[in-house]
Amino acid sequence: MSMKEAVHADRVQLAYASVLSVAATLGMVLIAVGYLLYVFDILPSLASAADIAAHWHLKASELHKAVQVPSGWNWIGELGRGDVLSYASIIYLSGATIFCLAFIVPAFIREKNFIYTVLTILQVCILVFAAAGIVSGGH
Amino acid sequence: MGEAFSIHCRRFLMFFLLASLMLLPAAAFAAASVPVHDGTQLAWWVWMILLFGFTFLLGIIAVVAGVGGGVLFVPIVSSFFPFHIDFVRGAGLLVALSGALSAGSPLLRKGLANLKLALSMALIGSASSIAGAMVGLAMPEKTIQLLLGLTIMFISFVMYRSKNSAYPVIDKPDALSKTLQIYGVYFDEHLKKDINWQIHLTPVGLALFILIGFMAGMFGLGAGFANVPVFNLILGVPLRVAVATSVFVLSINDTAAAWVYLHKGAVLPLIAVPSIAGMMIGTKIGAKLLTRIHTNMVRRIVIALLAVAGLRALLKGLGI
Repeated sequence: MSMKEAVHADRVQLAYASVLSVAATLGMVLIAVGYLLYVFDILPSLASAADIAAHWHLKASELHKAVQVPSGWNWIGELGRGDVLSYASIIYLSGATIFCLAFIVPAFIREKNFIYTVLTILQVCILVFAAAGIVSGGH
Repeated sequence: MGEAFSIHCRRFLMFFLLASLMLLPAAAFAAASVPVHDGTQLAWWVWMILLFGFTFLLGIIAVVAGVGGGVLFVPIVSSFFPFHIDFVRGAGLLVALSGALSAGSPLLRKGLANLKLALSMALIGSASSIAGAMVGLAMPEKTIQLLLGLTIMFISFVMYRSKNSAYPVIDKPDALSKTLQIYGVYFDEHLKKDINWQIHLTPVGLALFILIGFMAGMFGLGAGFANVPVFNLILGVPLRVAVATSVFVLSINDTAAAWVYLHKGAVLPLIAVPSIAGMMIGTKIGAKLLTRIHTNMVRRIVIALLAVAGLRALLKGLGI
């Protein structure tokens, strides 16, 4: 940490910045690799790109009746497939913020910052409930 | 002579960017409506290339015009590409989210984005963005198009009228902002000195973030267009801090809404990934071009483009 950074951002903020930097870079690599595995048919897919394209004008619920595509957490047992890996990389990207927030909770506790310990835990809970489908209409 | 060359370069760059921005939707629109010779539509990979190219240009324009990519992505892509608006909104949220994730770290390190300000506003904003996403996905397509059209036209009007304040002066912070420890200091590159800041009207800001979060989730927009004026004009956050903290708030609010779209099956990697890649690369190039092109001119054209996309969504919603 440089002196200048320490003046303009507190320790918890810098900790968040560090973990976010790693999480974001990894996310970009994963979505690129997942997509290439999918569109170049390097791994078999649940539904080919052409199948998806034939139905992408449909509402999400109707498309899911017509073709088998990953959604929510229903893909866990199919990790060897290209479209599933590409979807999993998006799941990772959508989970990166939750991971970063959870990472700074101990830092707030160490600082004895009660307000932000509670606020951050509440924020993590909201996002975890959304990710689990509890408050986001998952199945 | 060097200066004249530089002016010519700038003019060419401006012309190229704006012409591309105008022509790509037209090309996409034409491709969508004209079947190829064997009676089938364009191959999926052609759409992907068009989508990548289009979002790449949107990324450049978004930075130069000083708006988030998400607000341009949803109305324009849903107008000119053959995808259902469910998938465009899902991709739009991920475009905004990935942009926010990749920009977040340096902004936090420099003290431009403020963690405590963002956490306070995002807690309430993320809960309402989940509600907005659930309501939005339950609505019929025409109603969503109609509301999106109205919202986008309103945003273009707000962008046209808004006058930001670079360094608001807040003499007395409110009690809630003091309790929440929301204040900070950042180094201003323009003034070459540290700027201390504090805020007021925190309860009003919190109430507005309920509305912003709901709208972001409902339409799959990044909502930076609304975060920045609330931070800057209402709470009194310096403009640079407002813009940077807005990016950070997006990463939390859009995460919450993105999960709703993921659970409802409204995210297709086939559409989302080229959009994310195009927008990210375009944004990086846009940031490099920022000092070389006339940003006011681009901003005016983006406002006009948003108004047209909003009108198109409105007409779609009305079945015209």
